[in-house]
Amino acid sequence: MSSFLNLITANTRKEFIELKRYFPNTLSMIFTFYFIFLAMLLGIHAIGDPSQAEMNIQYAIVSYVFWFLTLMALQDVGYVIMLEATRGTLEQLYMSPKGMWKILLSRFIGNLFLYSVILTFLLFLSMLTAGQWLNLKPTIVVPLLLITLVSIVGAGYMIAGLCVIFKQIQSFLQILQFILMGLVFVPLSVAPFLVAAPFVKGVDMIRHVMIENYTWLDFAWTDYAILIGNSVVYLLIGLFIYLKCEKIAMERGLLNQY
Amino acid sequence: MEREAVVEVKNIHKQYKKRKSKEIVKAVDGVSFNVYKGEILGLLGPNGAGKTTTIKTICGLLKANDGEVFINGVDVRKERLKALQYISAVLEGNRNLYWRLTARENLEYFAGNRGHSRKSVQEKIDKLLHQFHLKDKENEIVSNLSRGMQQKLAIAVALLADSEVLLLDEPTLGLDVETSYEVREILKDIVKENGKTIIISTHDMPVVQDLCERTVIINKGKVVADENVENLIKLFETSAYSFTLGTPLSEKQIQMLDETIPIYEYIDDELHVTMEQEDDLYKVMDILKSDATSIEKIDRATVDFEQVFLTLIKDGEEDVVVS
Ligand SMILES: Nc1ncnc2c1ncn2[C@@H]1O[C@H](COP(=O)(O)OP(=O)(O)OP(=O)(O)O)[C@@H](O)[C@H]1O
Ligand SMILES: [Mg+2]
Repeated sequence: MSSFLNLITANTRKEFIELKRYFPNTLSMIFTFYFIFLAMLLGIHAIGDPSQAEMNIQYAIVSYVFWFLTLMALQDVGYVIMLEATRGTLEQLYMSPKGMWKILLSRFIGNLFLYSVILTFLLFLSMLTAGQWLNLKPTIVVPLLLITLVSIVGAGYMIAGLCVIFKQIQSFLQILQFILMGLVFVPLSVAPFLVAAPFVKGVDMIRHVMIENYTWLDFAWTDYAILIGNSVVYLLIGLFIYLKCEKIAMERGLLNQY
Repeated sequence: MEREAVVEVKNIHKQYKKRKSKEIVKAVDGVSFNVYKGEILGLLGPNGAGKTTTIKTICGLLKANDGEVFINGVDVRKERLKALQYISAVLEGNRNLYWRLTARENLEYFAGNRGHSRKSVQEKIDKLLHQFHLKDKENEIVSNLSRGMQQKLAIAVALLADSEVLLLDEPTLGLDVETSYEVREILKDIVKENGKTIIISTHDMPVVQDLCERTVIINKGKVVADENVENLIKLFETSAYSFTLGTPLSEKQIQMLDETIPIYEYIDDELHVTMEQEDDLYKVMDILKSDATSIEKIDRATVDFEQVFLTLIKDGEEDVVVS
């Protein structure tokens, strides 16, 4: 267990060093998000019906944050595997006796952690600038978010698996952002079948909390069951697909094709 | 005394299907050898012989179509991760490091991926940086290091894992003479100090002559020799002769040599031949006699390892196995 913690620390640290070393890049990302949050807080307020404004802002911001987090976690794993396959470091990762799936897991965790910190900070900063305070209810939102993120990790494993075999999936990763946008922004009440997709249930519950002031008790037990079930199932399927792909890649010698 | 085999490669076969033509390439075709504790084994072969494929199969990065690999008795196919505890590797090319991280960060990151905390490896990292003369470059980003320094760092990363077996795929390729020498000296020290078992794949003859006690030579996916390096050279010395000729060879004689003697060299008035069979010597004499060529001198030739290697891989086509 402590060795897994070391794995997480090492991978989070590496991500952090790269964010720091490419500071201009990181800074432009931070500015973009700051201004988008700010625009949402100020803009939507100005356009919409004042009584609806609070709700719209909340909806847009929750969806946007989720979209960004899922995109970072999923696109990043894809691009990083492609990059490391061409640079040759991918095979060195596969030389770890801990197993690549654990390295990937610690990268997901590190990545999600770092971006959550950045986003939280930016959200506060923009609320401060706009003088508008959203009701974030961290005691409910954070636990729900953590469970939801598990399904994103599952989806991440699927993408990692595809990437190990096919390598050239840039165009898929491009399309992915629109798929994710659809999953995140379309409310479940409009498209109930989306409950089977990863993390949609979680986003929906978090929106209920933030917009309609739901508490733990306002959800039915089935809501929790679906949320947890969805996350567990996606994690297991994702891991299974990834391990299968890894095996195929080793059989066909695909780990370093560039 | 029975020596302890740390790495056992048993009859591995690996074929690839080419992406476009669907043609099947037999990269490794029934390779077997053992590597014993504390030994440096040279895995030698021309381009495309199957060295990298063999190394990657030992690491479990490739799954063989057939055959088995055991590391300390652990089956790599069945328990890959367990077997990896005993192995670290520097793979082909300068592609083993993160170019955006510094030398030290690379060492720390890879140690982390093997489950070690950053704190627990600091002392070892310092020692390795000193040993590889990289201490003053520790905070330099890898892309700013020279090819030689990158290669040394890659070896240091592999050594930090402190595994029993170290696999090096062409570790001196693209290095200048001086750096190549430095790398060899460091490797010698490492074997002396820690009794590691090392497999080096290479084309670089000085590496084999200088470092390896034993060599496995592969060609076209097959083992053509598995011998102690010194014995191999001796074996060839007894069969190599040089003739100093008084008169030049005729066209006809050269043609006859082409037909009967697989390996010979004719420069100025010197004829060097390597015999395969005892009576090859008589055949050469007959050819020389046929045009009454005068022979001024016959010597046992001194053979260098490169000639041995070239002879063996020429023979590879006919499956001549020296053992
Ligand atoms: N992923 C692959 N797909 C298809 N063919 C491959 C693949 N990898 C290697 N080969 C082929 O297998 C054969 C053996 O290759 P290998 O890389 O093992 O040789 P090598 O001895 O390491 O050569 P080199 O000295 O050039 O590094 C070659 O013919 C090569 O073209
Ligand atoms: Mg090679």
